[in-house]
Amino acid sequence: MKNKLMFLTKLSLNKKIKSKWFIIVNIIICVFIVGLVNIDNIIKFFGGDFNNETKFIVIDNVGVYDDLSFKYNEAKNVVDGLSNSSMNLFTNTVEEATNLVENEDNILLIINESKDNFFEIEMIVNNTIDSLLYQSLVSSINSTKENYALKQYNISDEMLSSIEKPVLIEKTRLDENKSVDETLNLVISTVFPVVILPFFMLTMFLVQMIGGEINEEKTTKSMEIIIANVSPRTHFLSKMFSSNIFVIFQGFLLFCYSMIAVAIRFFTSSSVSAINNSLSTSITDYTSGIIAQLNYSGIIDRLIYIVPLTIILMILTFVLYSLLAGILASMTTSIDDYNQVQTPVIIISVIGYYLSTLSAVFEGALFIKVLAYIPLLSAMLAPSLLIAGQITIFDVIISIVILVVVIYLLFKYGLKVYKVGILNYSSTNIWKKLFKAVKH
Amino acid sequence: MLQVKNVTKTYGKLKAVNDLSFEVNEGEIFGLLGLNGAGKTTMFRMIMGLLDQDKGDIILDGKKIDYNITDKIGFLTEERSLLTKMTVYDQVVYYGILKSMKELDIEKKLDYWLNKFSIKDYKYTKIKELSKGNQQKIQFITAIIHEPKLLILDEPFSGLDPLNVELFKKVILDFKKKGSIIIFSSHRMEHVELFCEKLVILVKGKSVIQGYLKDIKNNYQKRKIIVRASLNKEKVKKLDGVLDVELVGNEYVIDVKENKYIENIITNLVDYPNLTKLVVEEASLNEIFIAKVGAEYEK
Repeated sequence: MKNKLMFLTKLSLNKKIKSKWFIIVNIIICVFIVGLVNIDNIIKFFGGDFNNETKFIVIDNVGVYDDLSFKYNEAKNVVDGLSNSSMNLFTNTVEEATNLVENEDNILLIINESKDNFFEIEMIVNNTIDSLLYQSLVSSINSTKENYALKQYNISDEMLSSIEKPVLIEKTRLDENKSVDETLNLVISTVFPVVILPFFMLTMFLVQMIGGEINEEKTTKSMEIIIANVSPRTHFLSKMFSSNIFVIFQGFLLFCYSMIAVAIRFFTSSSVSAINNSLSTSITDYTSGIIAQLNYSGIIDRLIYIVPLTIILMILTFVLYSLLAGILASMTTSIDDYNQVQTPVIIISVIGYYLSTLSAVFEGALFIKVLAYIPLLSAMLAPSLLIAGQITIFDVIISIVILVVVIYLLFKYGLKVYKVGILNYSSTNIWKKLFKAVKH
Repeated sequence: MLQVKNVTKTYGKLKAVNDLSFEVNEGEIFGLLGLNGAGKTTMFRMIMGLLDQDKGDIILDGKKIDYNITDKIGFLTEERSLLTKMTVYDQVVYYGILKSMKELDIEKKLDYWLNKFSIKDYKYTKIKELSKGNQQKIQFITAIIHEPKLLILDEPFSGLDPLNVELFKKVILDFKKKGSIIIFSSHRMEHVELFCEKLVILVKGKSVIQGYLKDIKNNYQKRKIIVRASLNKEKVKKLDGVLDVELVGNEYVIDVKENKYIENIITNLVDYPNLTKLVVEEASLNEIFIAKVGAEYEK
């Protein structure tokens, strides 16, 4: 019987993996992931108006150009969106400058003295100006004005430098498990698409696959031959093993595709830079930034237990979903019926998905915390809350224990339903038959 | 030997099988007959262990049937039980391995049977691409590939042309010669009559006729006399024991109530002019079936 279990598992797994559709779908997924990770480079590669450099030309009648240019370049180093802009001093006439605005889409800034506001600026544009660009320019101008004003009151350069130096804020977290507020959103926005989204997708795969396979065997009556030779328990286990191995394998493939996508981004960023040097951003800088932020929040140190607990929760949840899908599939008599029956299961999964996104918004919400113990939801909620420091390892362990108990009970009683269900071809009195099966 | 002892199976208020008992020895072909819904498939499913009986025992070679001995059983279901997206090879290997066979052994035997059924070119064809008759052949091969001790055939000739029916019959008879226990059901009484030694006719799950075919026929008193002569139909009708006289083509068919009237009727018939044929026939299984099943349904 053990050999037959292995054979059925292998057969079911091969049916899923050694199919041309599996290969086609995975090629499409890989292309999509690579495309998604590199979407900015792809957009930049094909070009557009955003590619045009924005040039500020400045006619300075006050003597603050150097300071303004310095402030603007400082902003450029921090804000990505400003990288494709430049600022230059214009020493010719206003008419010539206006011609440049008209013919080359430059932006002319004329700085004039002001009696009651130190200086004022006239801006001449031929087109709309990007809001980020405008805000950064305004911020640079105001900062330049403050410096100019301070100098007017004989403030030395040293004092000015001291005034401009940002205030050092040193934070001490009393509870190391708690993420600091400013990194929480970053954590959720980074971890969520990488972990929860694929998990959600794989859950959908799992539920669909088990239902489809069991219904195919039922509708073709091959179930009669199979169950005549192997016990329903062996059959059920083979479906669970093969589907879970499949989703874990598919999850691994998704991870590999992401790595390929990141590698492609890494290697192509230099070539894109060559095409459009000022627009490109370095992935390594970006990644280092995120890692630095995560490190600051203390998450990196806690990954040593967050990752294994999350993996355990996810695998157990896959098992529970496969159990539930198998039992539901056995109760139905066609794939159409199954599609209807599985809807509540999918909705549960969707609820988990949304609640995990909301956990960052409703920090400390008791309702979400309680739901993190509930099987099927816990795999999505508990890791998010654990990362955010809203629950402890102990809470996650309780979630795991509850999950194991529910799996045991569902297997024990569900198997009785499965035994009756898989050889039942009529929906008449189905609930009566199933309750009777559970009682026996 | 297969022994079915006082088996009863109930679905709610409906008794699908009602206190049924029979035995089939090695090398015997046993017919399980009845109208649709008579309990045949339920009985097959209980023998296969797919359903648990409420009462009674089903024993093969002295042991209750469980997963330890299902490898000895071959089962051909009434409806197609093939995974149609699979190739013939994959499907036969699949079911063969479920019977604890080795893949190499399965392939060797599959080649033999494909050759025997003249479908060797379809070895790697998907089942859904085969005709209904060829699908039935593949299903039959999956049931016999492991040379079962007990072969259960639920409507084995369904979808087959007369040539292939003959081919199937030969194979079934070969298995009988080898000592297999064969149980089969069919709506075609001429098939049952040709190679069943024993049978049971079920009506609403209950046996109405049971035993060796020759005994059943002997015990059934009605006879037919076929006569080719210039008869006086009305006069013959008035003879003792005559139920009806009918002209079929150029022959008269006389239905006789009981065997004991035959001698007297024949004595009367021989005096008619132009007598060229006079044959006394036992009732066919089909007639016995219709008479018995019809009578039980009327109750």
